[in-house]
Amino acid sequence: MDLSYTPKQKMIRDTSRAFSRDVLQEYSTEMDRTGSPLPQNVMDKMAEMNFWGIQAPIEMGGAGLDSVSYSIVIEEISRVSAATGLAVTVHNSVCLAPILLFGTEEQKERLGRDLVTGARIGGFTVTEPNAGSDAASIQTRAEKKGGSWALTGQKAFVTNGGTGGIFLVAARAGHGGNTGVFIVEKGMPGFEVGKIEDMMGMRGNMVSELILNDVEVPERNLLGSVEDGFRISMKALDTGRIGIASQALGIGMAAYEAAAEYATQRRQFGRSIGKFQGISFKLAEMKTALDASRFLIYRAASLRDRGLPFSAESAMCKLHASTAAMDVCREALQIFGGYGYVRDLPVERYFRDAKITEIYEGTSEVMKIIVGNAILREFGKY
Amino acid sequence: MLNIAVCVKQVPDTGKVRIDPADGTLVREGAGAMMNPDDLHAVEAAIDLKERFSGTVTVFTMGPPAAREVLIQAMAMGADRAVLVSDPVFAGSDTLVTGRILSLAIGKTGTFDIIITGVESIDGNTGSVGYQLSEFLDMPLLTRIHSIEVAGKCVLVERIYGHEYQKIEVDLPVLLAVNRQTNTHRHPGLAAVNLAFEKEIQVLTMKEIGGSADDYGIKGSPTMVVNYESISHKRDRVVLSGSLDEKVDAFMDVIRKHGILRY
Repeated sequence: MDLSYTPKQKMIRDTSRAFSRDVLQEYSTEMDRTGSPLPQNVMDKMAEMNFWGIQAPIEMGGAGLDSVSYSIVIEEISRVSAATGLAVTVHNSVCLAPILLFGTEEQKERLGRDLVTGARIGGFTVTEPNAGSDAASIQTRAEKKGGSWALTGQKAFVTNGGTGGIFLVAARAGHGGNTGVFIVEKGMPGFEVGKIEDMMGMRGNMVSELILNDVEVPERNLLGSVEDGFRISMKALDTGRIGIASQALGIGMAAYEAAAEYATQRRQFGRSIGKFQGISFKLAEMKTALDASRFLIYRAASLRDRGLPFSAESAMCKLHASTAAMDVCREALQIFGGYGYVRDLPVERYFRDAKITEIYEGTSEVMKIIVGNAILREFGKY
Repeated sequence: MLNIAVCVKQVPDTGKVRIDPADGTLVREGAGAMMNPDDLHAVEAAIDLKERFSGTVTVFTMGPPAAREVLIQAMAMGADRAVLVSDPVFAGSDTLVTGRILSLAIGKTGTFDIIITGVESIDGNTGSVGYQLSEFLDMPLLTRIHSIEVAGKCVLVERIYGHEYQKIEVDLPVLLAVNRQTNTHRHPGLAAVNLAFEKEIQVLTMKEIGGSADDYGIKGSPTMVVNYESISHKRDRVVLSGSLDEKVDAFMDVIRKHGILRY
């Protein structure tokens, strides 16, 4: 088992890292301070980098990369700007990927190309004000009306909500409790972007409510069938969790590297603070946790690429990486002391950004349910 | 249509190279490798000329097989062809022999209108391969380029000379040495990186470029690196106190005392 990067993965890493440093980094502080999104010209440069279609086929305008490479790209972007990493991973993994996997050729051509080129940004939404972890209790309804569906409801905490143009929306369809996934496009009458959230972290991503007032969605915008919706949503989240875990890894790596460098430079009691075991032990624990996150992510990614089941592994990598990111950011801030608490340095931003990775695309508690159920299935009757 | 050649070098990632505190030598193990930073700007200059004036770009590197990666990177940026000049007998070559090897490889590959190199490499810092190529290929060399235009059979170059720009018109063929003052290099897209790994790389060994083992490597090199030494400067730390006026006066005294100001 060779755990090292291929030369191609190394180059993907170096290219993504250089672009993030040279182009994205200058916006990360302002985005956090003002909550404003990236300017359009930067979004266009990201399109030239194929960031909006990392795993989409090259003939569609994507980069055609494997899932480990995908994880690498999200990590490198998130090291510099977690809010941008979030936009990219949600767009790729829970909007574009389900369309490419479950969509008709017509949907892939009509919608997939716009997503791959970044002409329109994608989102995915199940969550509602009264339905978070209890996804089965969503209230948004889709009623059949002639050759279309009429969607009515309200979605909450939609990543890319304020900037997106194509959304996969989960809605209860017809009678009988089926959940369908509908492709809702900005501009459809009755579709409205609601409140943009003022968040603790991931600032600059236009997370928002989506309001659906009898939005007429044509039949050709139904993804799969109404019986498929739950399965499509779960498959989407399996892939999405690899992305979120990668994002958490990127945040954690940024915090860890900043802390490690600071520990070699900051001098107290006549020596660099890294020479004290109280600090070096923290760094050792941080590095170990991050390396473990990395390889859990790559295992889930590898299983996905080989077409093998990866739900439990995806849940594990997201659970571990998000917990590790929070732990690492807390300890990094501690190492920086007072300087970690002020906004002159990005350490406090890493800390604020990390928290949501334990919550969205399935809370850590839900991840434990998924893994626990998998264990019970493996060991006995469940 | 322009036929453009670029020479690039794979160097240790200096961000990760450490100095051994015991003897001051460079510890390259575990440092990884990258394209020499000036050469990224050379590739960018070549691709930019190709896009603006139409042409093809061939990228050359001399190095071990692992140096293929810088060629792939150049192709991801937009180079059309790549040539790896590699043979175990080339190992240990100094800059003069390197220049000779590259000039032979370029001669074997084609006739070029413009050859572009970086000004210097960050591992050797001699900055001499461009000059050596100029002699071996009998082509004029212009360095420290700010901008390049092509007009018929000439290039029009603005270069930085002290605090001035010089505008120079040179007949083709010409050699140009560039660095970060010349341009901002592009980042290749992920798709371009993916596709570049599928492209063919031509390999030239001693057999193709000619000569014998005595002409190359340490044997053929009139110079050799004997030692690396890190030089550290001890910094005096002086804290000035008092009112702002007093601190300014004290500062002026300090810099006069050290001969920085002479009035």
